[in-house]
Amino acid sequence: MMAQQHASTPIVEGLFEIVAGTPKLIGSQCHACNTIYFPQALSCRNPKCRDKSVEQTFLPHGGTLYSYTVQRYQPPPLFRMDHWSPYALGLVDLGDGLQVMGMLTGIKLDEIAIGMTLKLVVEPLYSDAEIGEKLTYKFAPAERAGAA
Amino acid sequence: MTRSVYVLGAGAHPWGKWPDKPQLQLAHEAMNLALADASLAWPEIQGLVAASSRFEGGMGWGLHANEVVQSVAEQGIPCINVGGACAAGAVAFQTAYALIASGQHDVVAVLGAERMPKGFIPRPPGSPDDISDSDYLRWVAMGATNPAYWAIEANRRKFDFGTSDETLARAAVMMRKNASGNRLARFRAATSIEEVLASPMVADPLHLLEICPVSDGAAAVILGTEEYTRKTGRKPVEVAGCAIATGEFGDPARRIPTVSTNVLPNVSHTSEVVNAVNSACEMAGIGPEDVDVLEMADNTVWHLLSWPELFGFYEPGQGDWMLDNGKLEIGGQISVNPSGGFLSFGEATTAQAVLQICELTWQLRGEAEGHQVPDATIGMSAVLGLGANGGSVILKT
Repeated sequence: MMAQQHASTPIVEGLFEIVAGTPKLIGSQCHACNTIYFPQALSCRNPKCRDKSVEQTFLPHGGTLYSYTVQRYQPPPLFRMDHWSPYALGLVDLGDGLQVMGMLTGIKLDEIAIGMTLKLVVEPLYSDAEIGEKLTYKFAPAERAGAA
Repeated sequence: MTRSVYVLGAGAHPWGKWPDKPQLQLAHEAMNLALADASLAWPEIQGLVAASSRFEGGMGWGLHANEVVQSVAEQGIPCINVGGACAAGAVAFQTAYALIASGQHDVVAVLGAERMPKGFIPRPPGSPDDISDSDYLRWVAMGATNPAYWAIEANRRKFDFGTSDETLARAAVMMRKNASGNRLARFRAATSIEEVLASPMVADPLHLLEICPVSDGAAAVILGTEEYTRKTGRKPVEVAGCAIATGEFGDPARRIPTVSTNVLPNVSHTSEVVNAVNSACEMAGIGPEDVDVLEMADNTVWHLLSWPELFGFYEPGQGDWMLDNGKLEIGGQISVNPSGGFLSFGEATTAQAVLQICELTWQLRGEAEGHQVPDATIGMSAVLGLGANGGSVILKT
């Protein structure tokens, strides 16, 4: 008998999808002004838009690092991560004014540089006997092979 | 009709950790000090506006003004409880100002009293555990603490302007130096650039001593008409301008707790505060160059360098030179946080903006013992709260 296999699932439903092996962040785009929001939004927020309706869209999967930090203290318990150690959080410019925050992976903490090219990856955050493996999105140096 | 409004009295309980004093007692003590300062007593108070907290008191519904009135003065006056997170004190002040300026009441009190839980501010109960709640998302998907947001700003400033770690640390040193003369501050021991840089790194490039902790504290001000201020026999302190605002679409600030930003050109960074400052200046008929003393929310050293630039006190990037050359110290070109700021007080969230008004009142009266800005006649406050709340008050003598 094989041990029961749990599926790997996103840390929050509706955050991202893996399409043909490629991870994609899910956002919303305004019909009128084309602004893309992340995560999915109920409505456009642009004060110039009178029609506020939005539809689901995928975000660009790569961008450049606008800024970052390294978290040296473990966040409070709502955050869960196997084998905790200090990690980097980046703010990534995906183009058209959209900047998204996320964990950085695949790079040494002292080699991170503002302006570097990054791509979206999906990696396990923690595993749980009850609920299986939880995945989150991260950004990795663009030349690195996808971890998804 | 619009009437002039004056600060009749100001009072504050020292900031710190007060495990033996419930929030209500802190509130009473601050109110009593403010009443005594105004030579008034509860029977003269015609309304109370409280900055409502989610942490303690307020009968669990943020009814802090009602709680105070029910415990000390059941005299049927209107009680208004306002939200605004860390800017709630500014929203309360704005509300009380309007009650008097409109002619509806002659004497109204503003109160903020807070006891904070230890450590990182927890997520409030009752929020949905799904994608619609940014505060859930930022914790579970990436564990982004509040200092991480500020650190991302600080690292970008280092990239844009070449700000050094020493300059960042110097801002913390200045706050402690100012606080050493302020008996209300919690952290009054002098520090050094070496000591700040040797404190534990929290989120690069920000060290522990460069980030404000949380504290307990309470502050109150009594506002009233010209007739009442004349009766006090004190130097009048007039509300020259006050405004609250919320954030603007396209603002590039990394807004807690969101995980993305839509950046548009020509929209101010931290627009909720910048727009409140601009509105308050317009109302007062002054510009930043007229301000003698600025009390601003320094959640980190990055804020001390960047906010005065955002308000137009000087050019972006010039803050480093201003700080390094002593231009922001007490008696400098513009005295920034002579009180010692959030870094020396710790943040008692909803009480913080009321404390700023107390500090400005004492500065303009020449009563800021131990940390007085010489000849201060115009003072400005600036504060930011969760939910993109900004507030600013300008007082003058």
